[in-house]
Amino acid sequence: MATVTSWVKHLSADEVAGAVYPFIGTEWLWLTIAVVFWVAFHIFTGTGEAEEQQKLSRKRPGANDYKKNITDC
Amino acid sequence: MTDQLGALTTIFTEFYYWITVVLMFLIHVGFCMYEVGASRYKHHQHTLMKNTMLIPLVTVTWFFFGWWIYWAFPTGPGIAPSIMTESTGLVLGGGFGANELANPMSPVMAVNLNDHINGVFWAAFLLFSWTAASIVSGAIIERITTFAFGILAIAIGSVFWSIDAAWGWHFDGWMLKLLGYHDAYASGVIHACAGGFALGVLAVLGPRIGKFSSSGEPRNIGPRNPWLVCIGLFLIYTGFWGFYAACNIPIFDLGPEYGMKGVTFFTATNIYVTPTTLSGITMTFLLSLSGGLLAGYWVSKGDPFWTYSGGLAGIITASAGNDLYHPLQSLIIAGIGTYIAYKMHYWVERRFKIDDAVGAVAVHGYAGVVGLIICGFVLWGYPSSGYEGLGYAAINPIGMIIGAFIMFGVLGFLPGWVLAKILHGAGKLRIPREVELAGLDYNIMEAANKDEKAVASASR
Repeated sequence: MATVTSWVKHLSADEVAGAVYPFIGTEWLWLTIAVVFWVAFHIFTGTGEAEEQQKLSRKRPGANDYKKNITDC
Repeated sequence: MTDQLGALTTIFTEFYYWITVVLMFLIHVGFCMYEVGASRYKHHQHTLMKNTMLIPLVTVTWFFFGWWIYWAFPTGPGIAPSIMTESTGLVLGGGFGANELANPMSPVMAVNLNDHINGVFWAAFLLFSWTAASIVSGAIIERITTFAFGILAIAIGSVFWSIDAAWGWHFDGWMLKLLGYHDAYASGVIHACAGGFALGVLAVLGPRIGKFSSSGEPRNIGPRNPWLVCIGLFLIYTGFWGFYAACNIPIFDLGPEYGMKGVTFFTATNIYVTPTTLSGITMTFLLSLSGGLLAGYWVSKGDPFWTYSGGLAGIITASAGNDLYHPLQSLIIAGIGTYIAYKMHYWVERRFKIDDAVGAVAVHGYAGVVGLIICGFVLWGYPSSGYEGLGYAAINPIGMIIGAFIMFGVLGFLPGWVLAKILHGAGKLRIPREVELAGLDYNIMEAANKDEKAVASASR
């Protein structure tokens, strides 16, 4: 839903409305979605990181083993 | 904006802050280069990503609540009344300076045809938030989980620095009124606070494997790419210059602002709305950089890492009063702070077995504290605010020493230590010993092993 359909009408009003973004009045919904996205990021990336590190811990590579993976510096 | 002069002033101010934000982005570029250059090869990619991911994490939380905290907390709450609301409660609702502007659902937290300042001002403060988190990031490389760092970055970047800024870096802050606190370019509110926070985390996190011998003697794990570290610090200097400009209000008529009838006096001001000039602080910035470089080179016997870090420590030490100091005072103050920060780094490392990988606690924390204390003596008697008759204390040494304790200890070290303890208790703070030895990037490098071998054989 467009907040502005005519710039001429919008800017010639007695008091110009400042906010011009779409769906004015639904800010709470966007904020809720954004907060859920943020929290989910922490949960999923945190879990993934822990799993990856546990897997690597079980392999127990030595302090210089990473050099075997670099063959052409 | 109905007249051309008013429009020019507003658009100039909008563009001014926008430029400072772009310049300050270089601080983060510099921090990323610096950290990667200081880390060992097997940790490079995770080190880079840890610092990079603080950008979105601090940005979204600064939008959600960090900016809101800044505008809501100048009174403490409950410590000193606001000059806007005359209440000691949280500052909520109302006109300029009030918290409604920072509500994430407010119409001015977006493109708004009636507002040209809130977004760029929000962004300037946000870049300070990134810096606060990035200071912590460097100290703790090669052994913290990215998850834990994300939580800590949000805490320092969007909560604790925001509270200290409301208290001591706001024209209505209670620390100005009761303590006479003065910190024009953030020796305390950014650097001492973030340095203290980093020390609190380090005390729980512990040193990197091998940093100390079995008898407790510290070993040097020097930067693996000194050139990258030095270029990173050059970029931080450049961004810091933008930071200085961002700390000012570029044009303000102080006559009516201070209630002086018939007086017109246009000037730049600092964040406290007291006068200074962009021209003058350009000199104090450069002389404090010089004082830090000279002292850093001298005390470290020409070590590049500490010479460059000394330049930064010098600026940080002089920053509290660089809106008023003579450039030669900035030079000397910067030299003193750099010397003390260098000596303190090695003393704390040896005495308390603290492994601060990049010297961040020294360069930011100790130099920031020294800068606040010196400022209390050198600017003793200056007004902390131009709003005379409203109960603001003058700048004084005792107030500045208490202010330094609040910044470094109460809002820095303490929350850093408590949060690190909680994360440690949950088993989320430190990476497993095997991973630290193998390298955080081991899996990434192993996954590329086949390609690496193919490339190597193809080149024969």
